Amino acid sequence: MATEFERNHFKKRLTSMLKVDLRRMFTTPLFYIMVGASLVVPILILVMTTMMAGPTTDPTTGEVTVIESFTNVWQIISSASGSAQSTDASAGAGMDMMAMCNMNLIYFAVAVLVCLFVADDFRSGYAKNLFTVRAKKTDYVISKTLVCFVGGASMILGFFIGAMLGGGIAGLSFDLSSVGSSVGGIVMCLLAKMLLISVFVSIFLIMSVVAKQKVWLSILLSLGVGMFLFMMIPMMTPLNATLLHVILCLAGGALFSVGLGAVSNVILKKTSLI
Amino acid sequence: MNAIEIRNLSKNFGEKQAVSGLNMTVPVGAIYGFIGENGSGKSTTEKMICGLIHPSGGEIKLFGKEHTDVDVRAKIGVLIESPGCFPNYSVWNNLMLQAANLRVENAEDEIRKVLKTVRMEGAAGNKYKNCSLGMKQRIGIAMALLGKPALLVLDEPINGLDADGMRIMREVLLDLTQNHGCTVVISSHILGELEKIATHYGIIRGGKMIREMTAEELEASCRTYVALQTRDMKKTKALLDQKYARVEQDESGYLRVYNAKEPEEIVTYLYENGVLVNEIRTDKIGLEEYYIDLMQEGK
Repeated sequence: MATEFERNHFKKRLTSMLKVDLRRMFTTPLFYIMVGASLVVPILILVMTTMMAGPTTDPTTGEVTVIESFTNVWQIISSASGSAQSTDASAGAGMDMMAMCNMNLIYFAVAVLVCLFVADDFRSGYAKNLFTVRAKKTDYVISKTLVCFVGGASMILGFFIGAMLGGGIAGLSFDLSSVGSSVGGIVMCLLAKMLLISVFVSIFLIMSVVAKQKVWLSILLSLGVGMFLFMMIPMMTPLNATLLHVILCLAGGALFSVGLGAVSNVILKKTSLI
Repeated sequence: MNAIEIRNLSKNFGEKQAVSGLNMTVPVGAIYGFIGENGSGKSTTEKMICGLIHPSGGEIKLFGKEHTDVDVRAKIGVLIESPGCFPNYSVWNNLMLQAANLRVENAEDEIRKVLKTVRMEGAAGNKYKNCSLGMKQRIGIAMALLGKPALLVLDEPINGLDADGMRIMREVLLDLTQNHGCTVVISSHILGELEKIATHYGIIRGGKMIREMTAEELEASCRTYVALQTRDMKKTKALLDQKYARVEQDESGYLRVYNAKEPEEIVTYLYENGVLVNEIRTDKIGLEEYYIDLMQEGK
């Protein structure tokens, strides 16, 4: 007598995999720690840089260091010019906080989130249960990409809320015109930043499936490889972003997710899973 | 129909050949005792069956289909080495995750049922990392039982279980195979326990299957012997050595005489030589001794 097996269509498989990963993402403390940090960091940056702003003189060398602070709350979201570098070093050794401490920091934190989230599957041995009953690795890759994208987007939102709160506490200006943007531009900028997360998630996912349980290796690889692309973030997501920026980020996200997702799939297929 | 059919399977880890030209046949509904020394290739074979590592060569068929078939693989329960649970999750949440993974309908009821089966109802709320080794093993079994699997692959599932745990395990596996048509592949070093439930055996050495047989065939191959005790065991052994080809003293101090026709023949022979027999019985060697003999033959 032949044993009958229930048909498992792609939609059915993906839905259940998404359920598993969403349940994991929203029950893991890691997610709440990362979103919490995304919320707190901009508050700290805005409040502390406002307090530290101005020139300071080293009493032994007499060297003057000027700490430029944010004058407008939107500067912590992005720069209107799309440049990551400050050329203003007029007062001795200049430190441009706007270029270093803005929302783009989130992309580094997303690397940590993705690497820990994926490595946990392998470290706990859960991958054994998972891949025994799931012959298709595509479900895993798609689901992980989507869920980590949701995690990253939540961190962007957390950072945005934190920036608004921090700006309010530090008493910074909320004037959009002074930074050359508008409400529409900010919305487009945030959307572009969120969509750009998927480009980075797919890169971090590859690194995570290569390193499997070695979380340190996956973070190292992710930050190393991601570093090449971090430069493009300010350019792709300026404060005065337009629909074109959003479309470009969407297209880039889709292309990277599909292309690099396929690579992750091949890595999972060709390598030992435990 | 066979649940598992493996032909010429091999797996190399660099220079090392972990499995080499292995053939294995597990009929549907069997409890297949997979036996071998440490490093003989049992776990590697089981991992290949479950698709966790990729064979270097050969073919694995599950229920007549490729082992990579999505529908067949969705009906495999597995416990290899340790249960794959998240340490900071509760037992219940770990099972809920696996139930979602397996698309189990009425997941909560199903989880309660499997927890009851392994006598872990009271520990559902415990964090997995706080459970004892035996409890973890039971959770692993509960996890493998979720979703009514057609094939269970269990690697050393009895390790860490107490006597009650072993009994429960036996009952569960017998119920699954006899009443639900499930097939079980179980590897264990506790051969006495395995002997109580296995219907088929596969003995592996150096990555090769050296013998496959049914429980009946094992029974037939296990030689009978006469075990006896006398007051002067040294003299008795010397006398028996003169007449019988193989006489050994076992761990409990009895002398075992293999290939003896009848116990009476031995009693008479010893009596004629001035030795009185205190105790005598006929017995058969068990799986453990059969296995040890087989391994020694190879060496």
